[in-house]
Amino acid sequence: MAAPRYCPSCLSLASQTTTTLFRASTPRISPFTPPPQSLLQQPNQLRAASQNALKYRRKDVPASQKRKKARSTFLVPDLRNAIQFSLVEAMRYLRASEVGRPPTSSKYELHLRLRTPKNGAVVRNRLRLPHPVKTDLRICVIAPSDSPQGLAAKAAGAVIVGEEEIFLAIKEGRVEFDRCLCHTDSLALLQKANLGRILGPKGLMPSVKTNTVVKDVGASVREMAGASEYRERFGVVRMAIGQLGFSAEEMQRNIRAFVESVKRDMQGISDQTAKDLHEVVLSSTNGPGLSLNGSFSSGEDGGVGARDVSTL
Amino acid sequence: MNDGHMGPRKFWRQELVRLKYHNPAVSMTVERSTVQHDSATMSIHFTSENAPQTSGSATSAPNATSSTSTDKAPSNAAPTERVETIDMKFKSSNEILKEFMQVTRAMPVEATAEEREVMRSLEEQRIRGERDSKLSLEVRQKKKREEAILAQAKGEVAVAAQ
Repeated sequence: MAAPRYCPSCLSLASQTTTTLFRASTPRISPFTPPPQSLLQQPNQLRAASQNALKYRRKDVPASQKRKKARSTFLVPDLRNAIQFSLVEAMRYLRASEVGRPPTSSKYELHLRLRTPKNGAVVRNRLRLPHPVKTDLRICVIAPSDSPQGLAAKAAGAVIVGEEEIFLAIKEGRVEFDRCLCHTDSLALLQKANLGRILGPKGLMPSVKTNTVVKDVGASVREMAGASEYRERFGVVRMAIGQLGFSAEEMQRNIRAFVESVKRDMQGISDQTAKDLHEVVLSSTNGPGLSLNGSFSSGEDGGVGARDVSTL
Repeated sequence: MNDGHMGPRKFWRQELVRLKYHNPAVSMTVERSTVQHDSATMSIHFTSENAPQTSGSATSAPNATSSTSTDKAPSNAAPTERVETIDMKFKSSNEILKEFMQVTRAMPVEATAEEREVMRSLEEQRIRGERDSKLSLEVRQKKKREEAILAQAKGEVAVAAQ
């Protein structure tokens, strides 16, 4: 028997019999004659030689078909392993982590984790909290300053009212307001001014979808000044829900109002996308996020009651 | 360095947080200024013994409110009976804590059996994690070296094939 031959380029065992597959010019190999040197110099022909090798050859899938299946919903954590807290416990931890900070600078925030498909409609709305968090909101109104709407806006408390002056100021870069409203008649002028590139990324561009293009400017300004806006990003709805000085009862009322509002919004769009509330997390500006278990206070706090949590 | 303010700062970030957790009803405020050579004093305001107690607090009878500041901040809780001050400059946070506990006659909170269990399991986890990370670092580095050699070899073959 001849010694086993290996194809030098692909290192596969070239069997004796399959050399008959090649053209007649190559000499036939008998088991007793050593293979001629010429055969060993033709590595490409020997590549697909062995039947066995062909059977077990790795199928190289073309790169376009090689793709992992992407998830269609956002991942949610398993709450059975989660450590959850009552409201008073959570507030105690958060107040401790914020000790010494100026009382108006730290805020509580609530994160609602939703179970939702990735490409569905998002929850987006405005809400008036029972105990408002931020009471000094600068509103800008785009309407002619001498028109009745402009005057009504000024009376309702808008900081900047006008048309061309505002466009110029924005183009220069002086955006000195937190919210922007536009009267329906001035919408055309606004579109022409091409401010979308500056205001768009900030979320300040008035549009019909966000109810910022209005007919009755005075009422909208009044409504906006007290309302906080929330929006779902990547499956989570986040909103500031209290200042550090709020008591536990005030926080409870705010949280209830917020969660109920989000639940109502989710029901409204439930026929298109299935949305579900999965987890509620309370956090603060400088504190950890603590998952809430829905209860107000637990008994095993060493007697620390809701009143104790209220002092700064 | 920092004109002796590192101790007070660490005290605020580490010890005061724990103090506040165990005594949530005690008002604690911090005032800071940008001037380095200012003093760093902690003033502890004690109220009379009849003032409402916080249950579960670690401080003993006098209901204290403490304010760590360069100037004294008046507390708006029960009227202060007396004030004790501690100078914190050039002291480490441990020393400040010791002095504080002396002045207020505070009782340290002992860890319960469950909390000790949790702390021990976390410590074990940490040790295990360190060991695992060392091992996996070796494996990762070995893999990287092999890939580097392979890439080099491929590069040489490509050069030779040209």
